[in-house]
Amino acid sequence: MTDENKQKGTMHPFSRLTNQAYQAFSDMGFEIAIGPELENDWYNFYVLNFSKDHPALDMQDTFWIKNGKHPGSAVLRTHTTTVTARAIEQAGKAGRMPCAFISIGKVFRNEATDITHEMQFFQIDGVMVGEDISLADLKGVLTLFYKKMLGENVEIEFRPSFFPFTEPSIEVFAKFKGKWLEMMGAGMLHPNVLRNIGLDPAKVQGFAFGGGLDRIAMIKWGIPDVRLFYQGDLRLNQF
Amino acid sequence: MKISYNWLKQYIPKAPDANKLVDIFNYHLCEVETAEKKLDGDVIFDLKILPNRAHDLLSHQGVARELASLLNIKYVDPTPKYKIPESKSTNLLIEIKIDKCPRYMGRIIRSVKVGSSPDWVVKHLESIGQRSINNIVDAANIVMFDCGQPTHAFDLDKIKGGIMVRDAQAGEEIVTLDNKEIKLKNFHLVIADSKNVLALAGIKGGKIAEVDENTKNIIIEVANFDPMSVRKTAQALNIFTDARKRFENNLSPELGSYAMRELSALIFEMCPGAIFEDIVDTYPKKQKEKKLSFSANRISDILGLDVSVTTIKDILKRYNFTYDLVVGVPLGTPTTKFLMTVPPMRLDLEIEEDMAEEMARILGYDKIKGNIPKISFKPKQNETYAKICWAKNRLLSDGYFEVMTYTFCDKGEVEVQNSASDKKFLRTNLTDGLKESSKLNQLNALFLGINQVKIFEIGTIFKKTGEEMHIAYGDKKEIKETTLEEFVLENSSSKEHGYFSAEKFLVLAPSRFQVSFKEDFLLQKKNKNSSLKPLLFQMWSLFPFIARDIAVWVPENVKSSEVKNIIKKNMGDMVIRGPELFDEFKKGNQISYAFRLVFQSYDRTLTDIEVNENMIKITNKIKENNDWQVR
Repeated sequence: MTDENKQKGTMHPFSRLTNQAYQAFSDMGFEIAIGPELENDWYNFYVLNFSKDHPALDMQDTFWIKNGKHPGSAVLRTHTTTVTARAIEQAGKAGRMPCAFISIGKVFRNEATDITHEMQFFQIDGVMVGEDISLADLKGVLTLFYKKMLGENVEIEFRPSFFPFTEPSIEVFAKFKGKWLEMMGAGMLHPNVLRNIGLDPAKVQGFAFGGGLDRIAMIKWGIPDVRLFYQGDLRLNQF
Repeated sequence: MKISYNWLKQYIPKAPDANKLVDIFNYHLCEVETAEKKLDGDVIFDLKILPNRAHDLLSHQGVARELASLLNIKYVDPTPKYKIPESKSTNLLIEIKIDKCPRYMGRIIRSVKVGSSPDWVVKHLESIGQRSINNIVDAANIVMFDCGQPTHAFDLDKIKGGIMVRDAQAGEEIVTLDNKEIKLKNFHLVIADSKNVLALAGIKGGKIAEVDENTKNIIIEVANFDPMSVRKTAQALNIFTDARKRFENNLSPELGSYAMRELSALIFEMCPGAIFEDIVDTYPKKQKEKKLSFSANRISDILGLDVSVTTIKDILKRYNFTYDLVVGVPLGTPTTKFLMTVPPMRLDLEIEEDMAEEMARILGYDKIKGNIPKISFKPKQNETYAKICWAKNRLLSDGYFEVMTYTFCDKGEVEVQNSASDKKFLRTNLTDGLKESSKLNQLNALFLGINQVKIFEIGTIFKKTGEEMHIAYGDKKEIKETTLEEFVLENSSSKEHGYFSAEKFLVLAPSRFQVSFKEDFLLQKKNKNSSLKPLLFQMWSLFPFIARDIAVWVPENVKSSEVKNIIKKNMGDMVIRGPELFDEFKKGNQISYAFRLVFQSYDRTLTDIEVNENMIKITNKIKENNDWQVR
């Protein structure tokens, strides 16, 4: 009955989710950005207004690379904000303002693994910069995004938070099947970040957001353990 | 930070009930990790105080003051109630030798009586998970959890000479209060007398001048230390204390005066016979007054919410923030700017954006309504992503299944300095991971219902020279690996290749991408109209499965579905896959149908015997039809 040459393969759940997310943001005018997994500490931390003594720089969170070309300066990126930061820097230099970028990619955190923590996971990160981009725009964009990912009935809300690279900073929650769930961190880009990438905070402002794609997958499909994603096990490809 | 509801109510008697407070915290201040109801009616909130407010909110008074302003309710200032006797002159010497101590206040108190604490003190401490030690130590702890300023008490009679704040000399030693011997380095900040190191400044006290049951006279310390220095020392020594946590978040040196008053009053309450000497206040780096300028217009622009001058004025009044209004006429239209004096405790307020956050948080982020921005930006095609999509679609339609494996492995060219796992290297190829994946999936081939396990991965590999995007694909015999670039170059036509940098790549790679969307859409539609369950992940059983085939000869007019139905009715409830028709052929006027069944239990390992029983039941049922025959 089955001709083995005609059987089509299935994709990893992340590929499917990545495509959907990119499509959702492309529809809203974002450009896809992709960047290196091995980063220097400038783009991973300092450009984002982390100070040298920030706890995130502690050994337990970050994978620093041994004996790199520039010892101590190379890290496995801890977020894909590195990519979007590079992208707006480039856009600024090329005079492409306003601009909007979205990046999905693998990130790394040096922590013990359990059902909700992995040393590698996927992050979705986005920015929009322009003369009058506001927190209200962020809310609109993320509401539409989560509706497309999790269904029309989804609501989102903002709660107070703190990140060195955003001011104000907020935590994004989504209401899915009657429960409020923490989805991502976000906020308005800190003026120091804009300055660090060569933009003038008196002229432009923008929002940034970032969160785990793994988490969206787990919530959307009810996947119980984050470690299932990287076993190379085809029983995972159910979607 | 653990915060007791009853403790808070001393300062804000009109506080809303504990359940309401949980929401108020979550939506206007910080996350409530837990809210635990106690038998005595108290509720203990575990608050995740945000790093930018750690300098004023790691305390009951701090949280109470914030709530009073936020909710516009009365804050009861405790200071007028503090009773401190008139103090006598002192000969206490305090010397600050380095620039990492902006302020050091000391006070000698004589004729104290060390003993147990009053009940309310024990109760306060226990409510937030702290242990009562003795009245003097408890008083110091109460002050820290109440107003946020860590303090310390030394036994005066164990000290030689005055108090000195200085860097340690390499090789000096200290035995801490928890009996740990520490050899010091020259960057460690310490409190010392003329002979010994008495304490690790802002981190932990030492054994030498410990207050014990025989202590008669004490020095109380209320000081301020440089956050970076405290952090560096504590980190190097791997010591975590409540004092460290507060100092490394940068406290206002102005807090010292309040804490000194509170600590003195507490000790006087516990030791009414104590004799207080004058406070010695060494304050070389006085905190400068900060001004912050902002406008209602700018705040509204950042938030995308109209925040009026009146609203801002009201909030500033509630928070006791003083300000001047400056009206300027830059382009004909008058603009009002606030020039605010930042209260010394609010070290987090530095720029206009900080005030935008204050306003949004206090008003509530729910006031901000979503808007879809329209910007004049022409997104370009991302060439790498287009190539990844193209390669994926190509392999998927060739029957390859996608997997993802770990980046970390136990050998390679790039190594990480430290890891929570024993795999410290980054992969140099995808092939090794794919081989493991292939083995695993071979075992499950029948479960998966695939004839031949063909898999692929697209991902980053790491070499000495840098990272590369690779693609690897293959089956159990052979795995091929190449760079994504090469794969695309070798497998795409020149015409296709031009598309990668085209404006819209969806033209190029529509198949999988758009099909998925349609499927999703149809599924959602289906779910709305029928009671079908939504698309959910099915966790597999961790027990082994058993696969069985059954082939049946039937007259040619019998459809496969008839045979399938009989199998279904008699196969029992352990079949997780099948019956699946995998073969059929005709011979004369008969036809043979072959079905596959996969048995598996979620709670135990199935035995051949029980599976055979099911197969026999199916066979017997089939045989009841005269001209049907099991092969």
